[in-house]
This record gives sequence, structure tokens and C-alpha cells, in this order.
Amino acid sequence: MTILLTILTLLNFHTPNLKVEGAWLRPAGKGMNSALYFEIVNNSNKPDTLYKVTSPAAELVQIHETFKTNGLMGMREVRFVVVKPHSTLTFQPGGYHVMFIKLKKDFKVNGKVNAVLYFKTNKEIKIKALVKRQ
Amino acid sequence: MAGLIKSKGILFFIPLLFLCTLTTGCADKFPENKIIGGQPYSLLNQDSDSVVFPNDFKGKIVVMSFIYTNCPDICPLTTHNMQSIQEQVKKVNIKNVQFLELSFDPDRDTPSVLKEYGNIRNIDYSNFEFLTGKKSVVDTLLRHMNVVALQGDTTFTKSGTPVYFFTHTDRITLIDPKGKIRNEYRGSKTNIAEIVNDIKTLGD
Repeated sequence: MTILLTILTLLNFHTPNLKVEGAWLRPAGKGMNSALYFEIVNNSNKPDTLYKVTSPAAELVQIHETFKTNGLMGMREVRFVVVKPHSTLTFQPGGYHVMFIKLKKDFKVNGKVNAVLYFKTNKEIKIKALVKRQ
Repeated sequence: MAGLIKSKGILFFIPLLFLCTLTTGCADKFPENKIIGGQPYSLLNQDSDSVVFPNDFKGKIVVMSFIYTNCPDICPLTTHNMQSIQEQVKKVNIKNVQFLELSFDPDRDTPSVLKEYGNIRNIDYSNFEFLTGKKSVVDTLLRHMNVVALQGDTTFTKSGTPVYFFTHTDRITLIDPKGKIRNEYRGSKTNIAEIVNDIKTLGD
């Protein structure tokens, strides 16, 4: 029992509190816009807050959500997104996404794009997102 | 005598009913049968070729959607669905189908911008065209197709580029070979098989 508890403790120790997985972007041409999607996995007992994303690949990067009103679809900027303890928050088409506005280069299928996600507690997480058609 | 007339009447009525079913069966499968008002519309495609809508596509089944290329979330889903429908239609060998995507942001979506949007998504242009045109013409066509696109507030990037988005109708429209609207579907979240089946029905 003690050994098992020790192993579980060690495993937990090695699991990062916050992970960003499966990051991908839509293809788009230079000067156009794209959207970044990913999953934020919060393994900790505390919530964390994503409040900013930066990337050298776009002139402007904003956190957005897609909404539906009176049968119409729209997008709006959100200042922050909270990831609850022991939960996964998914940025996906038709929901939360990170807007890459005025791309500085073509985002071609299978290309990689760097970005940094800023969290209140866990500070910065650097990611490399894959450009794919979906 | 009265019985004979009655049975003759039934004999006459049954084939008539059968004929009516044959002629209206297809029409009954679709919720819409609307003429697009205000036509014809002079537009441009992604190669800057002149397009007269819907005249140029009479005799074809048209699958039409509505997008703007600065939309990174919903509109690419619609374009992706259009590509999937196009692939399915090719697989089941349905001929005479035309795919159209009309931009409701013609000020920014010039033919070359639309071409770039299509190229980066590997669009098969064999029966797929992007459409744009004069804003007044596009707006009138959108109104007649009951498509709404409301421009939001404008902000600016550090370099002074204006940034604005639309709140808009999310739709794919099916038009029959006579140029009449026959069905409407959600553009970004749509049942591909349902649309392909409807195309098959129109083609039969």
C-alpha cells in the first residue's frame, strides 16, 4: 500500500498542473485571419485563468467566442477564460477560439506556428500549433 | 346504373391520383419553392470573370453558401462542408451540380482575395466558384435570399489596418435547375448526407 501511494505521489509530482494539448490552426493567407484551437487540461485543485495569447505570426491576437443570437452567428472578444480545477476546457470551432488577425505569413497545411498562452497562476505556456484543414 | 358511374369514376380517379403523385412527389419532398427576386445579378467570380446569377446556372442544381474570408471560425466550417458535399457528389457520380460561395463582405473580398482563400484550402474549381461584386448588388441579392450580415464595430491593428467582423446568417441553400430555392440548411453544422440526398432527389 505504501509503495502504491509512493508511486501515485511520484506520478502526480511529474504531471504538470496545467497542460495545453492538440493545438491547431486553420490555413489562411498572409494578411488574412486564422483561428487557434486547443485543449487546456487543469490537473490542479485550483482554477486558473487564461488572459492573453501572443504570437509573432499575427499583427493582433485575441481570445474570442462564437455566439448565436436570433438565428445569426457572430464572434466577440472575451477578456479571460477560467479553467476549473480538475477539468479540461476545449477551444473548438463554433466555440472559444484564439483569433490571429492579419497574418504576417501564409499558414499552409502542415505548417507550424508558435504562440504563448498567459495564465494567472501557471504563467506562460509556449506552444507550437499545427496548421490543418478541418 | 349509379353503381356503374361510381365504379367508372373510381377507375378514372386512380390513374389521375397516380399521375399527380408522380408529378408532385419530388416537389413535396422540399419545404421551399421560392423564386429568387430582383434577378439577374451581375457578379464576379474568383478569376474576375463576369457571372450573371442565377441565369448562368439555369439547368444546374446549385449549392450556395454565404461567407466572408476574414471570418476564421464559422465560415471556414461552411467552406469545409461545401467541399465535403462536393466530394460526396463526385463519388456518387451526380452530374450537373454547381457550388457557389457568395461573400457578404465585397469591400474586402475582392476576386483575388477569394482566390487566395480558395487556393489555401485546395478548392476544386471544376464546379466551385466564389462570388463577389458591387456592394449594392450583393446586398440586394442577400436580401432576396433572406441572408443577413450585420457589420460590427471597427477596431484597428497597430499598423492601422481596420478590423471588423460580421454577425451573419449561417446557411447553405439548395437551388433547383429552374433557379428556385428548394431547401436551406445550417452552413457550419450541417448533415452532409441529407444535402447529398436532396441533390440526388433534384437530379432524379
